[in-house]
Amino acid sequence: MEPNLNEPHSMGTTIIGVTYNGGVVLGADSRTSTGMYIANRASDKITQLTDNVYICRSGSAADSQIVSDYVRYFLHQHTVQLGQPATVKVAANLVRLISYNNKNMLQTGLIVGGWDKYEGGKIYGIPLGGTLIEQPFAIGGSGSSYLYGFFDQAWREGMTKDEAEQLVVKAVSLAIARDGASGGVVRTVIINSEGVTRNFYPGDTLPLWHEELPPQNSLLDILSAPSPEPMST
Amino acid sequence: MTKQQANWSPYDNNGGSCVAIAGRDYCVVAADTRMSTGYSILTRDYSKISKLADKAVLASSGFQADIKALQKHLAARHLIYQHQHNKQMSCPAMAQLLSNTLYYKRFFPYYAFNVLGGLDNEGKGCVFTYDAVGSYERVGYSAQGSGSTLIMPFLDNQLKSPSPLLLPAQDAVTPLSELEAVDLVKTVFVSATERDIYTGDKVEIVILNAEGERREFMDLRKD
Amino acid sequence: MSKAVVDLPPKGGFSFDLCRRNDMLAKKGVNPPSFRKTGTTIVGLIFQDGVILGADTRATEGPIVCDKNCEKIHYMAPNIYCCGAGTAADTEAVTDMVSSQLQLHRYHTGRESRVVTALTLLKRHLFSYQGHVQAALVLGGVDVTGPHLHTIYPHGSTDTLPYATMGSGSLAAMAVFESKYKEGLTRDEGIQLVAEAICSGIFNDLGSGSNVDICVITKGHKDYLRNHLLPNPRTYISEKGYPFPKKIEVLLTKITPLKEKVEIIEAGDAMEE
Repeated sequence: MEPNLNEPHSMGTTIIGVTYNGGVVLGADSRTSTGMYIANRASDKITQLTDNVYICRSGSAADSQIVSDYVRYFLHQHTVQLGQPATVKVAANLVRLISYNNKNMLQTGLIVGGWDKYEGGKIYGIPLGGTLIEQPFAIGGSGSSYLYGFFDQAWREGMTKDEAEQLVVKAVSLAIARDGASGGVVRTVIINSEGVTRNFYPGDTLPLWHEELPPQNSLLDILSAPSPEPMST
Repeated sequence: MTKQQANWSPYDNNGGSCVAIAGRDYCVVAADTRMSTGYSILTRDYSKISKLADKAVLASSGFQADIKALQKHLAARHLIYQHQHNKQMSCPAMAQLLSNTLYYKRFFPYYAFNVLGGLDNEGKGCVFTYDAVGSYERVGYSAQGSGSTLIMPFLDNQLKSPSPLLLPAQDAVTPLSELEAVDLVKTVFVSATERDIYTGDKVEIVILNAEGERREFMDLRKD
Repeated sequence: MSKAVVDLPPKGGFSFDLCRRNDMLAKKGVNPPSFRKTGTTIVGLIFQDGVILGADTRATEGPIVCDKNCEKIHYMAPNIYCCGAGTAADTEAVTDMVSSQLQLHRYHTGRESRVVTALTLLKRHLFSYQGHVQAALVLGGVDVTGPHLHTIYPHGSTDTLPYATMGSGSLAAMAVFESKYKEGLTRDEGIQLVAEAICSGIFNDLGSGSNVDICVITKGHKDYLRNHLLPNPRTYISEKGYPFPKKIEVLLTKITPLKEKVEIIEAGDAMEE
C-alpha cells in the first residue's frame, strides 16, 4: 500500500473538446497522480497556447508540458511573423509535428481546440502516435473509455453554447464518478468569436451519479450521527 | 502496478535493536520499543523483550510475526518442560532449545535475530547470541538487529572480551558493575538512535540478578 | 543508413558509456555504491505577503543517518530559494547550476530574477535527463509579479500551488496542510504551520528527522531561519563519559623544515623589451 513517489508524474485524466454552433468548449478534471498519491488535486490541464487556441493535456505531465511549451513558443513566433493570430489548424499541426517526430520519447495524448476567423470553432485530437484528426468532438485520457457510449448518445450537431458546456460538465463528472484516476474539480474553457471564458465547477457542486455519496467534511460526521434503529427480530 | 504481486515476500523487516550484557552476578537485556516498516512507524511502544523463564529473557528483532510465533512456540515448550520436570528451565537449556527451534526451520527460517540473556545455574550472568537459523554462542555481551552494526564496535571497544582461543578458557562475563552496565546500555541506545533510523522512541531495560528482576524505561529520540 | 554517432565529439553533460557494463555487473552481483539520498520532508506555502519554505535536516544512506543537520533549502537568487529532495548530489548540482545561470542572466539584464525563469531552467534540465537526475524540488520566491510557489518532479513536470510538499515525508506534511491551510495567513501563522508540517514529517517518516529549517521570503527581504526548531535533543549523556585510550606508540619524531627545501634566488634582471 506504500504510495510510490518515484513513479513518473502522470495525469490519469478525463479531457474533452466539443464544438457547438459558434465555437468550442474544452473540459477537464483536475487530478494529477504519482502512482497511488494525488500530487495535485486542483491542476489545470487546459493550457493556453495563444489568445484563441487552448490545449487539453493527458498522459505524462512532463511530456505534455514540454510539448505545449514548445508549441506555445512556436506559435508566438508565428503570430509575430504573420502579423495576425495563428489558426487552430496551424496550432494542431505543430502539436502533431512534435508528437509524431518524437513518438519514441513521448507518452502524451492531446486535444487542441480554438476559434479562428477562417474556419470558426475547431477541435483536433492528437492521440499517442502523433495522428491528427479533426473531429466535431474529441475525448481523451483514462476517463474517456467511460464516455464513448455517452457521447454517441448525447452529442448533437449545432448545440448552443450552454448546451455544449452542460454536456461537457456532465461528461467529466460521469468520468470522475467511475474513473479512479480522474477527480477533483471540473474546469471548462469556452472559445468563440467573442473571446475566451474560463469556468470552474467545484467537486462538491457536481451531480451525484449512481451510488455516489454526498460530500462530507469528515467521515467522523457519519460516525457521530445518530445510528439507525437496531434491527428487531 | 500488477508487478507487486510477483514481488510479494513472506517476510518484512520491522527493525529495532537488541543488546545484552552479562556480569559476574547479573545480566542486562535491553531493546528499543519502535516497530516500523519501510519508512513508516507502526508503533512507538512495542516490547521486543519476552521473559521465557525465571532466569532467561529473550530480546528479538526482525519480523514481528515470526518473532511472535517463535515466542509462542518457546512458551509452549517451556510449559511442557515445567510439567515434565517440575522446575523452571535454566538459561543454558533455553539457549539450546532456541537453537534447535530455529534450526528446525532451516529452509524457511524464522526471520528473527535473537539475544538471550539470563543467569546460569551458578548465578553468573550469561548471554547467548544467535543468527536466524540457530547458530549460537555464549558470549559476554552482544547486539542484534538494525543498530547492531553501530553498537557492536562500541561494545567491543569498551568491553574487550577474552579470546575464545585462550587456554585455559576464561570467563566470558564483563568486568563492569551492574550500574555501569545499565549506564553503558543507555549510552549505546542513545547513540544508535542518532544514526539508525529504525531504532528509537524508548528503550526497555531488563536487569536480572540474585534479587530477581528489575525493569527500566528511558526515552529516546522520536524522529 | 548507418549513423555516425561514434564519430561525434563529446558534448559535455553526463556520460552513459558505462551503463551497459554496470547492468552486466549488477546481474553478476556486483552492485554500484549507494547514493546519499535525502529521504526528506520539504514544504512551502504562500502567505499574505510572500512565501515560506521549510525542510528537515536529515540525510540518509539506506537505514543509516549520514548527516544529522544538513541544509536542504538552497539559494537560487536573492529573492528565490529552492528546497531539494532526492539524491543529494543531484539536488545540489542542479540548484547550483541554475543559480549561476540566474546570476549571469541578472548581469545581462540588470533586473531581478523571476521565479518562472528559475522554474523553466530547472524543468528543461530535468526533462532532458528523463528522470535520471533524481531531484524533486519545491521552488519559492517573490519577484516583480508577486509571490510564487512551484513543485518540480524529477521527470520535469511542474505544478503551481498555494501550498506544496515533497519527499518521503510529503504525505505526512500534506496531511497537515490539507487540514489547516487557509488563504491570507499572517507571517507568524505561516511559520507555525510550516514548522508543524515539517515536524509531522520528522516524527512520522523515518527518512526525515532532526531539526526544522525555514526560509521566509517577502518583497525585497528574506529571513533564513536555520534550525528554527530543535525538537530532537540527545536524551541521555553518561555522567562519567567514555575515554578512548591512545594505544599508538610514537617511535620516531623527525621534523623536516620546509624552508631548507626552497631555494631563494635574488631578483634577476628586470624584463626588458
